[in-house]
Amino acid sequence: MDFLTKVFLVYSFIAFYFMFLFVLIYLKNVKKISQVPKITKEYPISFVITCYNEGESVGKAIDNLANNGYSNLKKIVVVDDCSKDNSYEIIKKYEKKYPGLVMAVQTPKNTGCAAGAKNYGSKFVTTDLIGFTDGDSFPEPGAVKSTIGFFDDLKVGAVTSTVLVKNRMNLLTRMQAIEYIVIKFTRKLLEFVGSIYVTPGPLAIYRREYFEKIGKFDDKNLTEDIEITWRMLYNGYDVKMSVPAKVYSIAPEKFKPWFRQRIRWNKGGIQCMFKYANTFGRKGMLGAFVLPFFVFSWILGAFGLVILLYRAIRTIIVRYLLTTYSVEAHTAILRMSDINLNPSILAFIGFVLLILSVTYSLIALFSIKERKEYKRPTIFTFVIFEFFYLLAYPVILVMSAFELIRGKKTWS
Amino acid sequence: MKYPVFLQALALTIVVFLIGMYSGIALEDSRMNQITDYQLDSEVALIDVINLDNVLSSMDVSCEELKQANFDLLDRVYEEAQVLDQYEEVQRLTKKFNSLHKKYDVLRSYLWVNAIEIKEKCGDDFNTIVYLYNNSEEDLTIKAEQNVWSKILSEVKQEKGQDVLLIPIDANTDLISLHAILSDFNVTRYPTVVVNEKTIFSELASKEEVLAVLK
Repeated sequence: MDFLTKVFLVYSFIAFYFMFLFVLIYLKNVKKISQVPKITKEYPISFVITCYNEGESVGKAIDNLANNGYSNLKKIVVVDDCSKDNSYEIIKKYEKKYPGLVMAVQTPKNTGCAAGAKNYGSKFVTTDLIGFTDGDSFPEPGAVKSTIGFFDDLKVGAVTSTVLVKNRMNLLTRMQAIEYIVIKFTRKLLEFVGSIYVTPGPLAIYRREYFEKIGKFDDKNLTEDIEITWRMLYNGYDVKMSVPAKVYSIAPEKFKPWFRQRIRWNKGGIQCMFKYANTFGRKGMLGAFVLPFFVFSWILGAFGLVILLYRAIRTIIVRYLLTTYSVEAHTAILRMSDINLNPSILAFIGFVLLILSVTYSLIALFSIKERKEYKRPTIFTFVIFEFFYLLAYPVILVMSAFELIRGKKTWS
Repeated sequence: MKYPVFLQALALTIVVFLIGMYSGIALEDSRMNQITDYQLDSEVALIDVINLDNVLSSMDVSCEELKQANFDLLDRVYEEAQVLDQYEEVQRLTKKFNSLHKKYDVLRSYLWVNAIEIKEKCGDDFNTIVYLYNNSEEDLTIKAEQNVWSKILSEVKQEKGQDVLLIPIDANTDLISLHAILSDFNVTRYPTVVVNEKTIFSELASKEEVLAVLK
């Protein structure tokens, strides 16, 4: 057995393992996925909305939250992180629109990261629960209410939500829409094994006491929402997810901002791996699953990319040489007899994995019901997502590591 | 364990993987058995040719019969070796077909020598093209060169049909008989093409150039 075959088999084994793991978790909990605990107590809650140059959307974000249908919503602190546009003026208008509910604040100077603005806003909150959302995220009516019941369990430190893409006007945003749904589905499955690894910024609610006890958001981390979730797990708190709590967020519409966002997410993930490296194998599911899952994903992604590049370059060189020599020798570049239709076992394994992966994504897609204005993705978008979009993951992973090594740790 | 699903998934993966590996090995073994069966038939045919060779001088056997037997066997071996190559290309789990390859190579070496003898005994009204290559070549340039050579020669064979005996041999083996023959032709690099034991192409040539040296 040659080296590449061994590598392929190891990758396949790991891929099969995770596929089966998620399938088993799904089958065991299929009825519980959309369930949320009944509300026994309406805990008082306040929200912090962070805003940087989001004058166009922040008003709607405030409206959505203010009219979300939760009766014990005490305060909405809208933090302008020294925007260059008219965000602060708009926030001030909304302060007047919702007197006593909305509070407009501005950071003394731009904090340069979401964590800074979130921590600044949290100073104004005194309620039992503290929620966070962004100036370009729009919680659906009832979203807040459907997270509250989880907090009856004193072990619960945070509850995350179903984050979906609002703007689906081009191929990139439509693929992100699929990606968000698959991520949301996976995150919920991870809840059943105590391994939710992120409480995304568009809508996350924390028990304030624990939030402050563990030291709020880490403003040195590029993905404060991943880091704080790991810290919750590190301190023994549970993290839950409310599937009915939907929040729509604006996704990058162009390649460059999308790419920069992904690089930032991955860099933040790598920062977390290093920060919590000493928890490997301990600290509950953080060390038993979340951290190893991140580390192995990174190693396998990077190594897989190297192998893929090696194979691709080799194939290109061979095809180039074959074409050149064939032309020189006046012979056919490709003949039917060159095409080998005998399947190898590796092709079969790859095919089965592909089918499983596609099935998993389809189950995720059909597990969610959205309003009619949010159309289901077309087959074309789904195919591009499965066969091309996902291939970008390892590339982004490796580039993020390079950027971190080069010392680029800022948001932009 | 708090979450037995991790172990259940592992157990399921091991079972599925073992079934997959077992099926893969069974598939590859069945292909190997198929080639082995082919070889058995070819060996019988070879013994027949050797026998025919031996009785040529003493009994009433025509040169045509001997030539035809040699041609038929070589064509058959050529086709079988192509199947072998295709199977080998997708062979991943079990050992490669090295020994089967060697058998074909020794068979072809014998048939080459036999073809030379037939030419001496019965007249050289047919062409032999011996294509010597290295099946385990790693250099991409040479691999590409070999690929193009095999295309050119199969086109020549298609065009000339029974006038040409095409004998591809993997020369990178430890076959003593083959090396003895090759030293006679001073072949030091692969791929090399020997046409009618006279013309040697050490560099890539066009189909027209090969056709030009045929009878």
